[in-house]
Amino acid sequence: MGDKPIWEHIGSRFIQHYYQLFDNDRTQLGTVERTAIQGKAAIVEKLSSLPFQKIQHSITAQDHQPTPDSCILSMAVGQLKADEDPIMGFHQMFLLKNISDAWVCTNDMFRLALHNFR
Amino acid sequence: IKAYQNRTPERLMENTQDGNLGDWFKITVPYGIKYDKTWLMNSIQSHCSVPFTPVDFHYVKHLAQFFVQDASAASALKDINYKIFDEENQKIPIFVNTSAVPYSMCNKLEPEKMEQLKLTISKRYDVSQKALDLHKLRFDPDLLGHDIIIILNRRNCMTAILQTIKKNIPELLSLNLCKNKLCQLDGLSDIIQIAPTIKTLNLSKNELKSARELDKIKGLKLEELWLQGNPLCNTFPNQPTYVSAIRKYFPNLSRLDGQDLPPPTVTGIVDMDIIKPCKESFKGPETLKNLIFQFLLHYYLIYDSEDRESLLSAYHEEACFSLTVPYNSEDPALSNLCEYLKDNRNMKNLKDSDLRFQLLKHTKCEIVNSLCVFPKTQHDLNSYVVDLWAHTEIMLCFSVSGVFKEVIEVERKSQGSVRAFTRTFILSSGSNSSMCIVNDILTVGNARTEETQSAFSIPVPTPTFSSLSTLSQEQQEMVQIFSIQSGISLQWSQKCLQDNEWNYIKAAQVFATFKTQGKIPEEAFKQIS
Repeated sequence: MGDKPIWEHIGSRFIQHYYQLFDNDRTQLGTVERTAIQGKAAIVEKLSSLPFQKIQHSITAQDHQPTPDSCILSMAVGQLKADEDPIMGFHQMFLLKNISDAWVCTNDMFRLALHNFR
Repeated sequence: IKAYQNRTPERLMENTQDGNLGDWFKITVPYGIKYDKTWLMNSIQSHCSVPFTPVDFHYVKHLAQFFVQDASAASALKDINYKIFDEENQKIPIFVNTSAVPYSMCNKLEPEKMEQLKLTISKRYDVSQKALDLHKLRFDPDLLGHDIIIILNRRNCMTAILQTIKKNIPELLSLNLCKNKLCQLDGLSDIIQIAPTIKTLNLSKNELKSARELDKIKGLKLEELWLQGNPLCNTFPNQPTYVSAIRKYFPNLSRLDGQDLPPPTVTGIVDMDIIKPCKESFKGPETLKNLIFQFLLHYYLIYDSEDRESLLSAYHEEACFSLTVPYNSEDPALSNLCEYLKDNRNMKNLKDSDLRFQLLKHTKCEIVNSLCVFPKTQHDLNSYVVDLWAHTEIMLCFSVSGVFKEVIEVERKSQGSVRAFTRTFILSSGSNSSMCIVNDILTVGNARTEETQSAFSIPVPTPTFSSLSTLSQEQQEMVQIFSIQSGISLQWSQKCLQDNEWNYIKAAQVFATFKTQGKIPEEAFKQIS
């Protein structure tokens, strides 16, 4: 697995992949998201219909932890800029689960501009 | 390395027993200190095509080093450089150089001295207890009488003792090395092979500066250990931290410094078992909300108190905790977060995988130890924004964002910066159907100006509740939350809590009972405008 524990490896790759997709083409997030409550399609629809055209994320910090039931808890803090809006801070948590050999995000929590973490 | 500093010119000339004084090789393994010694040596010996006897294994900072006498062994060892893989799949470098004769070899005790040493040791050996008392060995009258100077801190002396033990009393159960001015335990590391049955070890009143010396003997299955009177004891902030650090090296330890230790699965002083998921109505968001409120109230009451160790019972045995301080290194204002930066585990910046691993606190003892080191805090529960973002039958995952103040008591007035934090907890229900924290991930930064200004401002009380101001901060918070949860007014909440000695759980139960009995008057539910 290389020199990093698996959860860091998966966590970092996921975060990178997620924000890349998000910034470039959010409709593709269907391959990434899945929750028990809302379901893939509803989420992708919601994300796609968010009222901005362009968005850019910049990650200031990230952290990953393994959970006892072999999931991964990932956290990303950073800044984003949507269209012409001013730069805002955001904080996002992901819960990743290994389902049939692929890691998917089962839960995701996003909060905007809570603290001024630069 | 200290053993090598005591060489005097006469001693170097002394030894002629060994025949070839040349042909010694020093084998170095960089970062060897991170491996278990037994594993390392077994791996090297199994990979090496020529059998050899390692001599004087010791550590110099992170390097592991030992000597071999045989040129063919040295050459075979050169061949296995970068051939052995460790548990993280890294190749282990092995460097081979010629070397002077290792200390213990060129200062071996002569046979007559070894004989006397054997006699002295048998005098100090209690056969019934299988205990060997070597305290203050330097000043043993027999040895002094025969002009034998045994300074146990010197490698050659320690080796001589170990050899005597190996030949005569390998069934040793208890060893007393008190008052021998030991400043390192490299010399003792072979004891694991020589006398693996040792259960009691007394290292008190020596000069051991760091608990990491115990790494060198951690293969021993010790049940009783004495360490008091060593400088390392002063490196711990308090007794529980000391105990749990030592226990890491010797998990079977039941007595330390003459005191019985509680069994390893410690239950905290304050039990967090108020968190009982009500399985019947688990799906209800109200129940979950209450659960989370109660948890947060209780958790931060303890966290803000003097006694964070009570949090031990809140955490699962195998819980994980990590801290991140997201910051831009050019920002000077963030230098005052230094208390947290020590533990900062920002994956983006932290490239050293060892450090990353160490900073992920695993097991509840490690976690609570780290938490105890953070500055004293006062959290503003009013500022909390809570997100419940995942839950199943047995798991609850939520995030809290808010502010807290660092409490620095300066002449009875608490001052300190206001910090903003986001903390995500994953709670899981354990075997006894109470919930405990399995994951805890915390982000800390400086609060924005608006946050600082609005922090800790309790909503202005209306005139009827002016009595609220005589309550303490914690009590005011309890009243507010009780009121939210029960639906009765602040005044009634205060009364209920006061009547139940500010025991929140009891008050809640009493309230619930009265409610079902219809004893709560209508006006109690009048909302404050």
